[in-house]
Amino acid sequence: MTQQVLVALLAVIAGVGASLAYFFGTNLLLDRLAADGRKPDGSYLSREPLRNLIRPWLFVLPALVILGIYLVYPVVETARLSFFDRTGTEFVGLSNYVWAIQNPEFREAIRNNLLWLLFVPALSTAVGLLVATLADRVSWGNIAKSLIFMPMAISFVGASVIWKFVYDFRGPDAPQIGIVNAIVVALGGEPQAWITVPFWNNFLLMIILVWIQTGFAMVILSAALRGVPEETIEAAQIDGAGEIQVFFRIVIPQIMSTILVVWTTITIVVLKVFDIVLAMTNGQWGTNVLANSMYNWMFRGGGDFGRGSVIALVIMIAVVPIMVWNIRRFQAEEAMR
Amino acid sequence: MTARVPGMTITWGRLLTHASLVLIVVLWTIPVLGLFISSLRDKDQLIVSGWWTAFSATERTAFGRTGAAAEAVEVDGEYVIEGDFLEDPRRTITSYGLRQTDLTAQAPGEPVAIDDTQFTLFEDGSYRWTSEEPFTHGAGRRIFYVASIPPTFSLENYREVLSGERIDRAFINTFTVTIPATLIPILIAAFAAYAFAWMKFPGRQWLFAIVVGLLVVPLQMSLIPLLRMYNDIGATFGVPSKTYLGIWLAHTGFGLPLAIYLLRNYIGGLPRDIIESAQLDGASHFEIFIRLILPLSVPALASFAIFQFLWVWNDLLVALVFLGKGDDQIVLTSSLRELLGSRGDNWEILTSGAFISIIVPLMVFFSLQRYFVRGLLAGSVKGG
Amino acid sequence: MRKTAIRFLLALSLGGLLGTALSQDLVFPIGEDARFNWSDLERFEAIDLSGQTIEVFGPWLTVDRDLVLSVFAYFEQATGATIAYAGSDSFEQQIVIDVQAGSPPHLAVFPQPGLAADLAARGGLVPLGDELADVVRENYGAGQSWVDLGSYPDADGNVQFFALHYKSDLKSLVWYSPDNFADAGYEIPQTMEELIGLSDQIVADGGTPWCIGLGSGDATGWPATDWVEDLLLRTQPPEVYDGWVTNEIPFNDPRIVGAIELFGTFAKTEAYVDGGVSSVGSTDFRDSPVGLFTVPPRCYMHRQASFIPSFFPEGTELGVDADFFYFPAFENLDLGTPVLGAGTMWAMTRESEGARVLLDFLTTPLAHEIWMAQSGFLTPHLGVNLDAYANETLRGQGEILQSATTFRFDGSDLMPGQIGAGAFWTGMVNYVSGDSAQSVADDIQRSWDALR
Repeated sequence: MTQQVLVALLAVIAGVGASLAYFFGTNLLLDRLAADGRKPDGSYLSREPLRNLIRPWLFVLPALVILGIYLVYPVVETARLSFFDRTGTEFVGLSNYVWAIQNPEFREAIRNNLLWLLFVPALSTAVGLLVATLADRVSWGNIAKSLIFMPMAISFVGASVIWKFVYDFRGPDAPQIGIVNAIVVALGGEPQAWITVPFWNNFLLMIILVWIQTGFAMVILSAALRGVPEETIEAAQIDGAGEIQVFFRIVIPQIMSTILVVWTTITIVVLKVFDIVLAMTNGQWGTNVLANSMYNWMFRGGGDFGRGSVIALVIMIAVVPIMVWNIRRFQAEEAMR
Repeated sequence: MTARVPGMTITWGRLLTHASLVLIVVLWTIPVLGLFISSLRDKDQLIVSGWWTAFSATERTAFGRTGAAAEAVEVDGEYVIEGDFLEDPRRTITSYGLRQTDLTAQAPGEPVAIDDTQFTLFEDGSYRWTSEEPFTHGAGRRIFYVASIPPTFSLENYREVLSGERIDRAFINTFTVTIPATLIPILIAAFAAYAFAWMKFPGRQWLFAIVVGLLVVPLQMSLIPLLRMYNDIGATFGVPSKTYLGIWLAHTGFGLPLAIYLLRNYIGGLPRDIIESAQLDGASHFEIFIRLILPLSVPALASFAIFQFLWVWNDLLVALVFLGKGDDQIVLTSSLRELLGSRGDNWEILTSGAFISIIVPLMVFFSLQRYFVRGLLAGSVKGG
Repeated sequence: MRKTAIRFLLALSLGGLLGTALSQDLVFPIGEDARFNWSDLERFEAIDLSGQTIEVFGPWLTVDRDLVLSVFAYFEQATGATIAYAGSDSFEQQIVIDVQAGSPPHLAVFPQPGLAADLAARGGLVPLGDELADVVRENYGAGQSWVDLGSYPDADGNVQFFALHYKSDLKSLVWYSPDNFADAGYEIPQTMEELIGLSDQIVADGGTPWCIGLGSGDATGWPATDWVEDLLLRTQPPEVYDGWVTNEIPFNDPRIVGAIELFGTFAKTEAYVDGGVSSVGSTDFRDSPVGLFTVPPRCYMHRQASFIPSFFPEGTELGVDADFFYFPAFENLDLGTPVLGAGTMWAMTRESEGARVLLDFLTTPLAHEIWMAQSGFLTPHLGVNLDAYANETLRGQGEILQSATTFRFDGSDLMPGQIGAGAFWTGMVNYVSGDSAQSVADDIQRSWDALR
């Protein structure tokens, strides 16, 4: 035990130390090697232009190398593998794509993913905005915000345990220990194995992600709300607008760009969602989503790299419009600066 | 701001504000509350009653088996079998019976006749079975009873998880993964962000656009190619392909786009004069970055640190793929998922295990919360 | 400089691996109990493996993990080797990841021969050699069949011996509480007709006959595949079963669909199952036998393999609180007494001297006896002392195994992984959730057709 703590500690120090050493080492080396000197004729030679030419690359190189290895290369490789067979050795043309289009399970995953994309970002953003607005008006707003943010700190796996407990089902005669069924029974209803109810169980899984992501939306939107100039609100109030009118006509348009940022970020999270589905249902009972399906094809029953790659590409293609929009927005911001 | 006249409408409005906020907060905290209360409860109570009943005593029906005939002792010409059904002294028998269909047939201490013998189950769970003839039965006889379990809260479940299920090792392993995987990307991203914001070099604009674009690559895509690459590197240099170094770099790669994006926006927003006057004094970009920019960027760095920390701490997929399952590499999320699978029937292990895994992120969040909000304010929502 | 740092780090992460030896006390002191073939240890005491670590990766956790460790302890004591066992509930996916990543353990314990065959075909397994195959052939009952179960084509298509069988399970068992049967006056059914009659009788008496749970995390659905296999063996001759496993007889053949529907008679009759049909799919299989022991009983019978007592409530005494009977055959079909079994196959995923010695150890009677004497272990090994079985229950299961007129290995474990550990499971979950037997069988056949 002590040994493990020691090993861990050393590893942590070495890992962080190595990256620090890189930045200090290379920069000091650059200052030494390309130091100002004297020309043969004895006049002062500034090598600053040379240093300024090299230094930016010292700064960005580690980032570019790591991004190239961990993100760019896999994108290219995945695209290539999607044309190969299950072991990635034999070229099979478009057959993986044909398989995907014909596979009902894949279509089900697409349908479910679309549902997730429709509901989770919308609900999280809406509730987040509501909480952000309300919390600014009460004295205990910060406590409320902290409590709403709390699920953000919980892992998807931890969240699954929590929600398994919420949706737990016992036979009609036994006392229910899941709170949903307990409430249903208390109201005179029949307890249900909620997680197996087709179609609607998708929403039960979505609630978990909404529960997690609302805190994120709330924090960012509440910051944006504080940035709304008070003069604009006061002007509207003088014109006789009610609070609700002020909110929708004055406040919302001013924080629209932030709302879109939040929406986008959560959309990206949704496309990558995997842990919740795996831990709660593993895609059974019609709850499969693309990311989980991809994991299953890649690793279950011996694995199939070709088909797994096709599903991975679909996930990325779904994200492309969002990516393009993001870059455009960034460029527009840059132009305004 | 404006002086409002207190009146009925405003009072109602404020009441509504409070009420709806309370409602949302309650909805959001109930699941965690349920987990927390459950994790402190007795494991036998946990499976028979909801956590909201934790403060009242619960009843449990069960059976006990008497001793076999061989265990009888002769006392004063009588044959006696004695024993105890309840191990926990806080529990009490409320009623018992010889059949499972009438559990309330006898009150505790009230004797019942079994053929020619006499049986009594007492309130504390001890029983006494007497007969004038020697006992002849084989296996003991089942006696059915209702026991009352008082509400009890203890850290017993936590002790069980921490000692028995390798969670303690998983804790250390998770820290070993998390700390470098949080610090390394911050360091690398800060340098890159500064370069993108304040240094001039060819291709700056489009390189940054690509970095932003990479924000949206699903990391599941990277798994197969990276596995193969690790495999090749491992084979070439004769080293294992599942190492902490491997997972640090992977997390660094996956976290970098967001880090660079956030930090560049923040660092780019710092006043131009600071940097220009430092340059006039002859400071190099490296010196400016270390002496001026880093201290000024603390809020942004802290806010990203929380994001990255939460993400790495809570990650399952990357750990599942890039780390082994052995004691020396298993992380909390993996072991929690194992618990979910292997202990489908042991809620007490699940609840306390889950709570253990979220306690550190909660602590980190609450202690860095103020930086977090400030950093985001200055960063991504500028001008919002 | 950076490179040195990397080396240093790699050395560190390796160092972590070596420091994990678990000391485990021996459950039976060596030489004391005469039921065991202690002499088997002598051969291994002569081999010095000190300093070697053998990594073993398998599906066993908690109880079974402790049991397998108790067997390893004797090997560790004799040879000085260290065995690092890691168990995972998602073994099926994890081993594929490990093999693909090039960092597999030395030994992998496959619950499914199909998955082992799959990895063998990709060059992921190291052949164990004919010598070990001969040992199995000579020492195991029906030895050739166990050799065949462990022999698969390698990457070049040559059939080699890749996997050693160790630890069998008997599937065709129905668990019950003898007290509850006695109190209600029920007799143990001798035929399938009587079993169905008894189920109706229990319903008529106001009870619930069955506890069925298909939940198993990632592997949810597998308990239903055992039902279907057992019922197929009871409604069709074994040739149909063999054809079905290799897909010569398609999955949506009426004979197979019939077996699925027969499973439906049990699992999809509302009054037959505890919690009702809707609870079958989501109830965890480890949770489901508990209903036998509650007061009043939530159910009277539970069909599950020989390993299930590990999940009975603490303190349940086999033979007293719980017992089993053979899942009977139809009287009017004249198919004899078929028995379904399964077991784990140990394959070498990375060459290691110690791992070979360990496999050799696992073929000795002692290695079987130590686990037999504890719980949940059956073996076809002919050299073991049957007195070592921990109780009458296990011995009784051994007898069922012996008196079987037909023995078949779990079919889903023999099918290609994408079917036997994928489409079949999902299909069964869908069937219990309301789909028709025909439509799920069609779906599974379609997945099989799409394989390559």
